[in-house]
Amino acid sequence: MDVKPNFPMQFQQQQLPQLQQQQQQPEPQAASTPSTSAGQPAEAPPKQVALAMDRLAQAARLIADVRIGGDRLLEALFFAAQSHQSNKTLQFLLKEDASMRQHLQDLRTVGRQLEETGVLNDSMKSRGNSWGLHIPLVCPDGAVVAYAWKRQLAGQAGASAVDRTRLALKAFADQKRRFFPHLEDESEDQSTEPGSKKLCRRQAPLTSQLDELGDFKSVADVLARLEKEVPNVKVLTYQRRDWLKRASSLPSSGNENSIESPKEQSFHSLNKMRAGPQAAVASERASVIEISFPCTFRAVVSLHPAGSIDPDAVAFFSPDEGGSYMHARGSSIYHVFRQITEHAGIGLQHFLGVGSEIALYFLLNWICSYQTLFTKVCSKCGKLLAADRKSSAILPPVRRSFRQFYPVRESSAEANSSTKDQVFEIPGAYHIGCYTDEL
Amino acid sequence: MPTKWVLHWHPNPGSTVNSQILNEVSQCAEAINGVKDGRWKATLTLLKPNLREDQSQPGEYPRELLGISLPEQPNKYYFILRGPRIVTEADSSIQVIMEKLQSYKSRIALYFEGYQYQLGDFQLRVGKVVSSHSENLRGIVLEVEYLPISSMEKASQVLGEFVDIWQEAVLKRSLPGSFMHNEPNLSEYGLGDNYTPQHTAVQYAYVMAQLFASQSTQAVRN
Repeated sequence: MDVKPNFPMQFQQQQLPQLQQQQQQPEPQAASTPSTSAGQPAEAPPKQVALAMDRLAQAARLIADVRIGGDRLLEALFFAAQSHQSNKTLQFLLKEDASMRQHLQDLRTVGRQLEETGVLNDSMKSRGNSWGLHIPLVCPDGAVVAYAWKRQLAGQAGASAVDRTRLALKAFADQKRRFFPHLEDESEDQSTEPGSKKLCRRQAPLTSQLDELGDFKSVADVLARLEKEVPNVKVLTYQRRDWLKRASSLPSSGNENSIESPKEQSFHSLNKMRAGPQAAVASERASVIEISFPCTFRAVVSLHPAGSIDPDAVAFFSPDEGGSYMHARGSSIYHVFRQITEHAGIGLQHFLGVGSEIALYFLLNWICSYQTLFTKVCSKCGKLLAADRKSSAILPPVRRSFRQFYPVRESSAEANSSTKDQVFEIPGAYHIGCYTDEL
Repeated sequence: MPTKWVLHWHPNPGSTVNSQILNEVSQCAEAINGVKDGRWKATLTLLKPNLREDQSQPGEYPRELLGISLPEQPNKYYFILRGPRIVTEADSSIQVIMEKLQSYKSRIALYFEGYQYQLGDFQLRVGKVVSSHSENLRGIVLEVEYLPISSMEKASQVLGEFVDIWQEAVLKRSLPGSFMHNEPNLSEYGLGDNYTPQHTAVQYAYVMAQLFASQSTQAVRN
């Protein structure tokens, strides 16, 4: 007998011999109305939810008991039909009858309790719950969930979790490959021994030199050091609003030259005037650093948070450009400076990886290496101009290497000189086509 | 203002410039991935003093005054005196005034016109030179401009190498001649490192001189 009997539950049934069909979900009572306040002290919704869950579990156990009881009765009847030991069968049947009644009674009680708390009907759903909790829902297929929408979410989440993880992994891998190519090289490039050895050897002095670089407590420290090391650089700091004003007031290349110089001079003198007694204060709240080499380029570095020494963006522009689009996340209208800006973004990430305290110092020095942008030939092909394959623009060497860029100690004449000059190695300049990521 | 070099076509001895060469040169610009951007036109006028009979000292007036209008500066007009090395800028209405004054008369006008090409941060202008007297092609002029910087000194290496690239491209076409760049001594005109339209005006004056010089030698040879 493989047929599983279905026993519908009817609360009003009292007769034993009648096989009772049973369903997973007890039918809701149309007649009984749940008395929400009857005999139940006001409990917090979480407690109600917990109680309701308990009772549902209880109900499920009772239903299982009734099922087993029903099975036993069937078996007993079958046995009784087959054998003729009527006494034993009768005892068995009576015992089963009693336990069955008990189960049904218990089930009835639990059912009533559940109805009162509104689990089995919709009365609670419409009532807003101040705690935002929903009474557990018994779904049509019998699963019990604490919140109605949890099931939907669970289903959706399961299906999309795999997809989302895959997409996220892919996005991260792309970003890593783009901004941290050296990380990939270190893990994968075990075959090129000389390259990796060179990398290790040259990094060793770096870590020891980090201590000797001293503390850069503020932007002013970094800039003072920079101005000492790079003779003809012009460095100014601004708060963000002031920079915007300056950028908008810069003449763009169409303007008359006669207007340009007095305006710039007056602005510089104004800046100096302002910077007189408040120089320290201004640099504490500085969020934009402008580095310019006259006639070559103007670089804008933004610091975040303001007043810190943490650079977060850099952009290059022509010295003749002007406009409110000139900021650390802006883009020049000229190909050459757009290319440098893109490369500088990667360089910035590299320097931040070297060390957050010295990142700004290294970055500014590296920016200054671009002062030879229009004069230094490519270290690989020896020419000044080359066509970029992608954009077919003819460009000077826009890429300066940054991986091997750190200060080396200059040999000083005196053996025990306390001030050892640290000068940065001049980085190689490369065309886009001549540049490789290991440089 | 972006820096610019003005070059002119120098035909080989015995050959003349013709429109075929102009076509080849234009194709050259496109071959190095130049994108045709539009037309341009500049006018150079050779002015001679209008001397009346009662003028006692004709030597006071410069014998030759050059006036140039440039496409980048439609509201301006530039005068060049090559002898005393003077270049000045005036409003374009000066031409009307000159007409009214009748102090100088236009002897000959040269029109430089053609197409311009964009090549990344470079701008090329290829132009034919036509005189007001006849429709014949007098010459070919080439402007090479590097847009990002305005310092002559900083741009000289870049422009020089670009011109080398250009010359290589032209050489492949085996044309009877080549482009020449004779850099005039701009400092003598009081012009500084920062590029201005006056720099362009002076360069054109020299190109004109070269054109007339080469054509007079042609005439002599013929």
